[in-house]
Amino acid sequence: MPDLKTEVLVIGAGPAGSMTAKWAAKNGAKVVMIEKRQEIGSPVRCGEGISKSWLEGVGIKPGRWINLEVEGARIFSPSEKVFEINEKDAGNEVGYVVERTAFDKQLAIDAANVGVDVFLKTAAMTMLKENGRIVGAKVKRGGETFEIRAPITIGADGFESQVGRWAGIPTNISTRDMDTCLQYRMTNVDCDVRYCDFYLGKVAPGGYVWVFPKGEGLANVGIGVQVSKVTAMADARTYLDRWIDHHPGYAKGKKIDMVGGGVSISAPIKQTVADGIMLVGDAARMIDPLTGGGIANGCIAGKICGTVAAEAVHAGTPTKEFFQQYEKGWRALLEEKLYRNWLAKEKLVQLSDDVFDKVIDVLQGYKLEKLSVHNILKAVHEKYPEVTKEFEEFL
Amino acid sequence: MPSKKHLHIESSGQLCIYCGACVGICPLNCIYLDETRITFDEKVCTRCEICVKACPVGAIEIG
Repeated sequence: MPDLKTEVLVIGAGPAGSMTAKWAAKNGAKVVMIEKRQEIGSPVRCGEGISKSWLEGVGIKPGRWINLEVEGARIFSPSEKVFEINEKDAGNEVGYVVERTAFDKQLAIDAANVGVDVFLKTAAMTMLKENGRIVGAKVKRGGETFEIRAPITIGADGFESQVGRWAGIPTNISTRDMDTCLQYRMTNVDCDVRYCDFYLGKVAPGGYVWVFPKGEGLANVGIGVQVSKVTAMADARTYLDRWIDHHPGYAKGKKIDMVGGGVSISAPIKQTVADGIMLVGDAARMIDPLTGGGIANGCIAGKICGTVAAEAVHAGTPTKEFFQQYEKGWRALLEEKLYRNWLAKEKLVQLSDDVFDKVIDVLQGYKLEKLSVHNILKAVHEKYPEVTKEFEEFL
Repeated sequence: MPSKKHLHIESSGQLCIYCGACVGICPLNCIYLDETRITFDEKVCTRCEICVKACPVGAIEIG
Protein backbone atom coordinates (compact mmCIF):
# COMPACT_ATOMS: atom_id res chain seq x y z
CA MET A 1 0.00 0.00 0.00
CA PRO A 2 1.49 3.38 -0.97
CA ASP A 3 1.34 6.20 1.53
CA LEU A 4 -1.96 8.09 1.66
CA LYS A 5 -3.02 11.67 2.13
CA THR A 6 -6.29 12.87 3.51
CA GLU A 7 -7.64 15.89 5.36
CA VAL A 8 -8.95 14.21 8.51
CA LEU A 9 -7.72 10.86 9.85
CA VAL A 10 -10.01 9.25 12.45
CA ILE A 11 -8.43 6.44 14.50
CA GLY A 12 -11.10 4.06 15.81
CA ALA A 13 -14.53 3.28 14.37
CA GLY A 14 -16.60 3.10 17.55
CA PRO A 15 -19.57 5.43 18.02
CA ALA A 16 -17.44 8.53 18.78
CA GLY A 17 -15.12 7.90 15.82
CA SER A 18 -17.91 7.27 13.32
CA MET A 19 -19.83 10.31 14.57
CA THR A 20 -16.77 12.53 14.24
CA ALA A 21 -15.98 11.14 10.79
CA LYS A 22 -19.56 11.65 9.61
CA TRP A 23 -19.81 15.25 10.72
CA ALA A 24 -16.39 16.12 9.29
CA ALA A 25 -17.35 14.61 5.91
CA LYS A 26 -20.82 16.19 5.94
CA ASN A 27 -19.12 19.55 6.37
CA GLY A 28 -16.93 18.99 3.34
CA ALA A 29 -13.73 17.39 4.64
CA LYS A 30 -12.02 14.41 3.07
CA VAL A 31 -11.99 11.75 5.80
CA VAL A 32 -10.29 8.38 6.31
CA MET A 33 -11.39 6.31 9.34
CA ILE A 34 -9.28 3.32 10.39
CA GLU A 35 -10.32 0.44 12.64
CA LYS A 36 -7.87 -2.15 13.98
CA ARG A 37 -10.48 -4.89 14.19
CA GLN A 38 -11.87 -6.80 11.23
CA GLU A 39 -15.43 -6.19 12.26
CA ILE A 40 -16.82 -2.86 13.44
CA GLY A 41 -18.67 -3.21 16.77
CA SER A 42 -17.20 -6.59 17.67
CA PRO A 43 -16.25 -7.80 20.21
CA VAL A 44 -18.75 -5.86 22.30
CA ARG A 45 -17.36 -4.25 25.44
CA CYS A 46 -20.51 -2.78 26.80
CA GLY A 47 -23.72 -3.31 28.75
CA GLU A 48 -25.61 -2.03 25.70
CA GLY A 49 -27.89 0.40 27.51
CA ILE A 50 -28.35 3.94 26.17
CA SER A 51 -30.70 6.82 26.86
CA LYS A 52 -32.87 8.22 24.05
CA SER A 53 -33.05 11.99 24.30
CA TRP A 54 -29.72 12.83 22.61
CA LEU A 55 -30.02 10.65 19.51
CA GLU A 56 -31.97 13.05 17.33
CA GLY A 57 -29.62 15.95 18.04
CA VAL A 58 -26.62 14.09 16.64
CA GLY A 59 -28.55 12.69 13.66
CA ILE A 60 -29.01 9.05 14.72
CA LYS A 61 -32.34 7.53 13.63
CA PRO A 62 -33.86 4.58 15.51
CA GLY A 63 -33.16 1.40 13.58
CA ARG A 64 -32.74 -2.33 13.70
CA TRP A 65 -30.02 -1.96 16.34
CA ILE A 66 -32.68 -1.49 19.04
CA ASN A 67 -33.35 -4.71 20.99
CA LEU A 68 -36.02 -3.20 23.16
CA GLU A 69 -37.26 -0.09 24.88
CA VAL A 70 -37.43 -0.01 28.68
CA GLU A 71 -39.75 2.01 30.91
CA GLY A 72 -37.12 2.84 33.48
CA ALA A 73 -34.46 1.69 35.90
CA ARG A 74 -34.69 -0.18 39.17
CA ILE A 75 -32.05 0.43 41.80
CA PHE A 76 -31.62 -2.42 44.29
CA SER A 77 -30.09 -1.82 47.73
CA PRO A 78 -27.93 -4.55 49.32
CA SER A 79 -30.99 -6.01 51.10
CA GLU A 80 -32.81 -5.64 47.78
CA LYS A 81 -35.18 -2.85 48.55
CA VAL A 82 -36.10 -1.37 45.19
CA PHE A 83 -36.36 2.17 43.92
CA GLU A 84 -37.85 2.71 40.47
CA ILE A 85 -36.82 5.59 38.25
CA ASN A 86 -38.63 6.72 35.15
CA GLU A 87 -36.60 6.27 31.95
CA LYS A 88 -36.26 10.04 31.39
CA ASP A 89 -34.64 10.54 34.81
CA ALA A 90 -32.56 7.41 34.91
CA GLY A 91 -29.26 8.59 33.43
CA ASN A 92 -27.46 7.93 30.19
CA GLU A 93 -27.66 4.13 30.14
CA VAL A 94 -31.43 3.71 30.33
CA GLY A 95 -33.93 3.98 27.46
CA TYR A 96 -33.01 1.52 24.74
CA VAL A 97 -31.15 -1.75 25.11
CA VAL A 98 -29.22 -2.01 21.88
CA GLU A 99 -27.27 -4.50 19.84
CA ARG A 100 -23.88 -2.76 19.83
CA THR A 101 -22.52 -4.71 16.87
CA ALA A 102 -25.45 -3.41 14.80
CA PHE A 103 -25.41 0.08 16.35
CA ASP A 104 -21.70 0.64 15.69
CA LYS A 105 -22.04 -0.67 12.15
CA GLN A 106 -25.00 1.64 11.47
CA LEU A 107 -22.97 4.65 12.61
CA ALA A 108 -20.08 3.56 10.38
CA ILE A 109 -22.52 3.12 7.48
CA ASP A 110 -23.88 6.63 8.09
CA ALA A 111 -20.29 7.90 7.93
CA ALA A 112 -19.42 5.90 4.82
CA ASN A 113 -22.59 7.11 3.09
CA VAL A 114 -21.49 10.73 3.36
CA GLY A 115 -18.07 9.97 1.87
CA VAL A 116 -15.85 8.66 4.68
CA ASP A 117 -13.34 6.00 3.56
CA VAL A 118 -13.24 3.14 6.09
CA PHE A 119 -10.18 0.88 6.44
CA LEU A 120 -10.64 -2.28 8.49
CA LYS A 121 -7.89 -4.35 10.15
CA THR A 122 -5.77 -1.23 10.09
CA ALA A 123 -4.00 -0.31 13.34
CA ALA A 124 -2.16 2.90 14.18
CA MET A 125 1.44 2.13 15.16
CA THR A 126 2.65 5.60 16.04
CA MET A 127 2.01 9.27 15.30
CA LEU A 128 3.75 11.14 12.52
CA LYS A 129 5.20 14.36 13.91
CA GLU A 130 6.65 17.39 12.17
CA ASN A 131 7.94 20.41 14.11
CA GLY A 132 6.16 19.18 17.22
CA ARG A 133 2.76 18.83 15.57
CA ILE A 134 0.88 15.65 14.66
CA VAL A 135 0.56 15.16 10.90
CA GLY A 136 -1.05 11.72 10.70
CA ALA A 137 -0.13 8.20 11.71
CA LYS A 138 2.02 5.29 10.71
CA VAL A 139 -0.37 2.35 10.32
CA LYS A 140 -0.20 -1.38 9.79
CA ARG A 141 -2.58 -3.42 7.71
CA GLY A 142 -1.89 -7.11 7.36
CA GLY A 143 1.87 -7.31 7.05
CA GLU A 144 2.19 -3.89 5.47
CA THR A 145 3.20 -0.66 7.15
CA PHE A 146 2.42 2.68 5.54
CA GLU A 147 1.73 6.30 6.38
CA ILE A 148 -1.57 8.14 6.36
CA ARG A 149 -0.79 11.86 6.32
CA ALA A 150 -3.43 14.33 7.45
CA PRO A 151 -3.36 17.83 8.90
CA ILE A 152 -5.91 16.65 11.49
CA THR A 153 -5.86 13.36 13.38
CA ILE A 154 -8.70 12.31 15.69
CA GLY A 155 -7.99 9.88 18.55
CA ALA A 156 -11.20 7.87 19.00
CA ASP A 157 -9.41 4.72 20.10
CA GLY A 158 -11.42 3.98 23.20
CA PHE A 159 -10.56 3.27 26.81
CA GLU A 160 -7.12 1.84 26.00
CA SER A 161 -6.28 4.89 23.89
CA GLN A 162 -2.72 5.12 22.66
CA VAL A 163 -3.21 8.13 20.44
CA GLY A 164 -3.52 10.66 23.28
CA ARG A 165 -0.44 9.34 25.00
CA TRP A 166 1.60 9.26 21.77
CA ALA A 167 0.54 12.85 21.18
CA GLY A 168 1.62 13.90 24.66
CA ILE A 169 -1.88 14.65 25.98
CA PRO A 170 -2.15 13.42 29.60
CA THR A 171 -4.95 10.84 29.75
CA ASN A 172 -3.63 8.59 32.54
CA ILE A 173 -6.14 7.69 35.21
CA SER A 174 -5.72 6.36 38.72
CA THR A 175 -7.08 3.07 40.03
CA ARG A 176 -9.74 5.07 41.91
CA ASP A 177 -10.97 6.39 38.59
CA MET A 178 -11.38 3.08 36.78
CA ASP A 179 -13.84 0.23 37.04
CA THR A 180 -12.87 -3.20 35.78
CA CYS A 181 -15.88 -4.81 34.12
CA LEU A 182 -17.06 -8.25 33.13
CA GLN A 183 -20.35 -9.24 31.55
CA TYR A 184 -22.09 -12.43 30.53
CA ARG A 185 -24.84 -12.54 27.97
CA MET A 186 -27.22 -15.03 29.52
CA THR A 187 -30.24 -16.86 28.22
CA ASN A 188 -33.14 -18.40 30.12
CA VAL A 189 -33.04 -15.80 32.92
CA ASP A 190 -35.99 -14.29 34.82
CA CYS A 191 -35.46 -10.61 34.13
CA ASP A 192 -38.16 -7.97 33.73
CA VAL A 193 -38.06 -6.53 30.21
CA ARG A 194 -39.56 -3.26 31.45
CA TYR A 195 -36.45 -2.26 33.40
CA CYS A 196 -32.69 -1.97 33.39
CA ASP A 197 -31.66 -3.15 36.87
CA PHE A 198 -28.75 -1.91 39.01
CA TYR A 199 -27.58 -3.60 42.24
CA LEU A 200 -25.53 -1.47 44.63
CA GLY A 201 -23.31 -2.11 47.62
CA LYS A 202 -20.73 -4.74 48.57
CA VAL A 203 -21.94 -7.01 45.76
CA ALA A 204 -19.83 -4.74 43.52
CA PRO A 205 -17.40 -2.52 45.48
CA GLY A 206 -17.15 0.91 43.89
CA GLY A 207 -19.43 -0.10 41.02
CA TYR A 208 -22.62 -2.06 40.51
CA VAL A 209 -24.09 -5.22 39.06
CA TRP A 210 -26.33 -4.58 36.05
CA VAL A 211 -29.01 -6.58 34.30
CA PHE A 212 -30.04 -5.15 30.94
CA PRO A 213 -32.82 -7.20 29.30
CA LYS A 214 -32.58 -8.03 25.61
CA GLY A 215 -35.91 -9.85 25.24
CA GLU A 216 -37.00 -13.50 25.14
CA GLY A 217 -35.22 -14.46 28.35
CA LEU A 218 -31.93 -12.97 27.18
CA ALA A 219 -30.03 -10.37 29.23
CA ASN A 220 -26.65 -8.77 29.73
CA VAL A 221 -25.60 -9.50 33.30
CA GLY A 222 -22.47 -7.62 34.21
CA ILE A 223 -20.40 -5.99 36.90
CA GLY A 224 -18.06 -3.08 37.38
CA VAL A 225 -15.64 -3.02 40.34
CA GLN A 226 -13.48 -0.02 41.21
CA VAL A 227 -9.88 -1.09 40.59
CA SER A 228 -8.67 0.49 43.86
CA LYS A 229 -11.08 -1.81 45.71
CA VAL A 230 -9.86 -4.99 44.01
CA THR A 231 -8.17 -7.28 46.53
CA ALA A 232 -7.52 -10.47 44.56
CA MET A 233 -6.95 -11.62 41.02
CA ALA A 234 -10.14 -11.88 38.96
CA ASP A 235 -12.21 -10.10 41.62
CA ALA A 236 -14.67 -8.84 39.01
CA ARG A 237 -15.43 -12.38 37.88
CA THR A 238 -15.57 -13.71 41.44
CA TYR A 239 -18.06 -11.02 42.52
CA LEU A 240 -20.21 -11.49 39.41
CA ASP A 241 -20.29 -15.28 39.71
CA ARG A 242 -21.18 -14.96 43.39
CA TRP A 243 -24.02 -12.54 42.60
CA ILE A 244 -25.41 -14.89 39.97
CA ASP A 245 -25.16 -17.88 42.34
CA HIS A 246 -27.22 -15.98 44.92
CA HIS A 247 -30.00 -15.12 42.47
CA PRO A 248 -31.91 -18.27 41.43
CA GLY A 249 -33.57 -16.46 38.49
CA TYR A 250 -30.11 -15.95 37.02
CA ALA A 251 -28.28 -18.99 38.40
CA LYS A 252 -30.56 -21.19 36.28
CA GLY A 253 -29.57 -19.25 33.14
CA LYS A 254 -26.91 -20.21 30.65
CA LYS A 255 -23.97 -18.05 29.68
CA ILE A 256 -23.56 -17.66 25.95
CA ASP A 257 -20.98 -14.90 25.79
CA MET A 258 -18.40 -13.23 28.04
CA VAL A 259 -16.93 -9.79 27.48
CA GLY A 260 -14.92 -7.38 29.58
CA GLY A 261 -13.29 -4.02 29.59
CA GLY A 262 -12.19 -0.95 31.45
CA VAL A 263 -14.37 2.05 32.17
CA SER A 264 -12.98 5.38 33.29
CA ILE A 265 -14.91 7.00 36.13
CA SER A 266 -12.71 10.07 36.33
CA ALA A 267 -13.28 13.79 36.49
CA PRO A 268 -13.01 15.46 33.04
CA ILE A 269 -9.39 15.67 31.88
CA LYS A 270 -7.86 19.11 31.39
CA GLN A 271 -6.85 18.89 27.75
CA THR A 272 -8.27 17.03 24.76
CA VAL A 273 -6.56 18.87 21.89
CA ALA A 274 -3.05 19.70 20.69
CA ASP A 275 -1.65 20.88 17.37
CA GLY A 276 -3.02 18.61 14.66
CA ILE A 277 -4.97 16.39 17.02
CA MET A 278 -8.23 16.07 18.93
CA LEU A 279 -9.39 13.28 21.27
CA VAL A 280 -13.02 12.17 21.51
CA GLY A 281 -15.15 9.64 23.41
CA ASP A 282 -13.69 7.16 25.90
CA ALA A 283 -10.20 8.12 24.68
CA ALA A 284 -10.91 11.62 26.04
CA ARG A 285 -12.30 10.17 29.30
CA MET A 286 -15.80 11.41 28.55
CA ILE A 287 -17.57 8.49 30.25
CA ASP A 288 -20.12 9.50 32.87
CA PRO A 289 -18.38 8.57 36.15
CA LEU A 290 -21.65 7.81 37.91
CA THR A 291 -23.32 5.52 35.36
CA GLY A 292 -20.31 4.34 33.37
CA GLY A 293 -22.14 5.24 30.16
CA GLY A 294 -19.94 6.61 27.38
CA ILE A 295 -21.88 6.38 24.12
CA ALA A 296 -24.08 9.47 24.40
CA ASN A 297 -21.22 11.72 25.49
CA GLY A 298 -18.90 10.33 22.82
CA CYS A 299 -21.46 10.96 20.10
CA ILE A 300 -22.40 14.45 21.34
CA ALA A 301 -18.71 15.43 21.46
CA GLY A 302 -18.11 13.65 18.14
CA LYS A 303 -20.56 15.86 16.31
CA ILE A 304 -18.76 18.97 17.57
CA CYS A 305 -15.33 17.44 16.93
CA GLY A 306 -16.16 16.53 13.32
CA THR A 307 -17.70 19.93 12.62
CA VAL A 308 -14.69 21.79 14.04
CA ALA A 309 -12.30 19.48 12.13
CA ALA A 310 -13.99 20.37 8.84
CA GLU A 311 -13.88 24.09 9.66
CA ALA A 312 -10.17 23.82 10.46
CA VAL A 313 -9.57 22.08 7.12
CA HIS A 314 -11.34 24.89 5.24
CA ALA A 315 -9.55 27.61 7.22
CA GLY A 316 -6.19 25.84 6.90
CA THR A 317 -5.65 26.14 10.66
CA PRO A 318 -5.34 22.70 12.31
CA THR A 319 -3.94 24.29 15.43
CA LYS A 320 -4.45 23.91 19.14
CA GLU A 321 -5.82 27.46 19.20
CA PHE A 322 -8.43 26.72 16.50
CA PHE A 323 -9.39 23.45 18.21
CA GLN A 324 -10.43 25.42 21.30
CA GLN A 325 -13.82 25.63 19.56
CA TYR A 326 -14.11 21.90 20.14
CA GLU A 327 -12.54 21.97 23.59
CA LYS A 328 -14.95 24.69 24.71
CA GLY A 329 -17.87 23.25 22.76
CA TRP A 330 -17.90 19.80 24.32
CA ARG A 331 -17.14 21.19 27.78
CA ALA A 332 -20.10 23.58 27.54
CA LEU A 333 -22.42 20.59 27.00
CA LEU A 334 -20.84 17.91 29.17
CA GLU A 335 -18.20 19.12 31.61
CA GLU A 336 -20.34 20.38 34.48
CA LYS A 337 -22.33 17.15 34.65
CA LEU A 338 -19.22 14.99 34.35
CA TYR A 339 -17.64 16.86 37.25
CA ARG A 340 -20.77 16.80 39.38
CA ASN A 341 -21.24 13.08 38.78
CA TRP A 342 -17.59 12.42 39.57
CA LEU A 343 -18.07 14.15 42.95
CA ALA A 344 -21.18 12.08 43.56
CA LYS A 345 -19.28 8.92 42.63
CA GLU A 346 -16.48 9.80 45.05
CA LYS A 347 -19.10 9.87 47.83
CA LEU A 348 -21.09 6.84 46.71
CA VAL A 349 -18.08 4.52 46.65
CA GLN A 350 -17.61 5.21 50.38
CA LEU A 351 -21.14 4.30 51.44
CA SER A 352 -21.77 1.20 53.53
CA ASP A 353 -24.45 -1.34 52.71
CA ASP A 354 -26.41 -0.03 55.69
CA VAL A 355 -26.51 3.47 54.25
CA PHE A 356 -27.49 2.23 50.78
CA ASP A 357 -30.35 0.32 52.41
CA LYS A 358 -31.54 3.38 54.30
CA VAL A 359 -31.39 5.60 51.23
CA ILE A 360 -33.30 3.17 49.02
CA ASP A 361 -35.76 2.48 51.86
CA VAL A 362 -36.69 6.15 51.96
CA LEU A 363 -36.86 6.52 48.21
CA GLN A 364 -39.06 3.50 47.53
CA GLY A 365 -41.92 5.07 49.47
CA TYR A 366 -41.28 8.61 48.34
CA LYS A 367 -42.75 10.45 45.40
CA LEU A 368 -39.91 12.57 44.08
CA GLU A 369 -41.06 15.47 41.96
CA LYS A 370 -37.89 15.44 39.97
CA LEU A 371 -34.99 13.09 40.33
CA SER A 372 -31.89 14.96 41.41
CA VAL A 373 -29.13 14.42 43.93
CA HIS A 374 -30.56 17.37 45.87
CA ASN A 375 -34.09 15.97 46.02
CA ILE A 376 -32.86 12.51 46.99
CA LEU A 377 -30.79 13.92 49.85
CA LYS A 378 -33.68 16.06 51.03
CA ALA A 379 -35.92 12.99 51.19
CA VAL A 380 -33.30 10.95 53.04
CA HIS A 381 -32.59 13.84 55.42
CA GLU A 382 -36.19 13.84 56.70
CA LYS A 383 -35.95 10.25 57.90
CA TYR A 384 -32.23 9.66 58.50
CA PRO A 385 -30.54 13.02 59.16
CA GLU A 386 -27.36 11.24 60.32
CA VAL A 387 -26.98 9.65 56.87
CA THR A 388 -26.93 12.95 55.02
CA LYS A 389 -24.41 14.59 57.36
CA GLU A 390 -21.54 13.80 55.02
CA PHE A 391 -23.42 15.23 52.06
CA GLU A 392 -24.15 18.66 53.38
CA GLU A 393 -22.33 20.37 50.51
CA PHE A 394 -24.87 18.86 48.12
CA LEU A 395 -27.89 20.06 50.13
CA MET B 1 20.09 -3.75 41.60
CA PRO B 2 17.43 -6.24 42.67
CA SER B 3 16.03 -8.25 39.83
CA LYS B 4 12.46 -7.50 38.81
CA LYS B 5 9.63 -9.83 39.71
CA HIS B 6 8.29 -12.07 37.02
CA LEU B 7 5.17 -10.78 35.23
CA HIS B 8 3.13 -13.15 33.12
CA ILE B 9 0.18 -12.23 30.92
CA GLU B 10 -1.81 -15.28 29.88
CA SER B 11 -2.97 -14.14 26.46
CA SER B 12 -3.27 -17.42 24.60
CA GLY B 13 -7.01 -17.20 25.20
CA GLN B 14 -7.32 -19.62 28.10
CA LEU B 15 -8.00 -16.74 30.46
CA CYS B 16 -7.48 -13.49 28.55
CA ILE B 17 -10.56 -12.02 26.84
CA TYR B 18 -8.59 -9.24 25.06
CA CYS B 19 -10.66 -6.52 26.71
CA GLY B 20 -7.87 -3.95 26.95
CA ALA B 21 -8.42 -3.07 30.63
CA CYS B 22 -4.72 -3.61 31.40
CA VAL B 23 -3.65 -1.55 28.37
CA GLY B 24 -5.77 1.43 29.38
CA ILE B 25 -4.70 1.59 33.02
CA CYS B 26 -0.94 0.93 32.57
CA PRO B 27 0.68 4.14 33.86
CA LEU B 28 3.74 3.59 31.67
CA ASN B 29 1.83 2.63 28.53
CA CYS B 30 3.93 -0.48 28.09
CA ILE B 31 1.19 -3.09 27.46
CA TYR B 32 0.12 -3.67 23.87
CA LEU B 33 -3.01 -5.34 22.53
CA ASP B 34 -2.79 -6.65 19.00
CA GLU B 35 -6.24 -8.24 18.34
CA THR B 36 -5.56 -11.58 20.04
CA ARG B 37 -2.14 -11.09 21.53
CA ILE B 38 -1.02 -9.04 24.50
CA THR B 39 2.60 -8.16 25.05
CA PHE B 40 4.40 -5.84 27.44
CA ASP B 41 7.74 -4.13 27.44
CA GLU B 42 9.84 -6.03 29.96
CA LYS B 43 12.31 -3.16 30.28
CA VAL B 44 9.81 -0.35 30.84
CA CYS B 45 7.47 -2.28 33.16
CA THR B 46 8.14 -1.55 36.86
CA ARG B 47 5.89 -4.39 38.13
CA CYS B 48 3.56 -1.87 39.78
CA GLU B 49 0.86 -4.57 39.60
CA ILE B 50 -1.94 -2.19 38.64
CA CYS B 51 -2.69 -4.31 35.56
CA VAL B 52 -3.05 -7.37 37.78
CA LYS B 53 -5.86 -5.61 39.65
CA ALA B 54 -7.44 -4.18 36.51
CA CYS B 55 -7.73 -7.56 34.79
CA PRO B 56 -11.33 -8.76 35.30
CA VAL B 57 -10.49 -12.42 34.70
CA GLY B 58 -7.17 -12.92 36.47
CA ALA B 59 -5.05 -13.42 33.37
CA ILE B 60 -2.10 -11.42 34.71
CA GLU B 61 0.13 -12.92 37.37
CA ILE B 62 3.13 -11.55 39.16
CA GLY B 63 5.56 -13.30 41.45
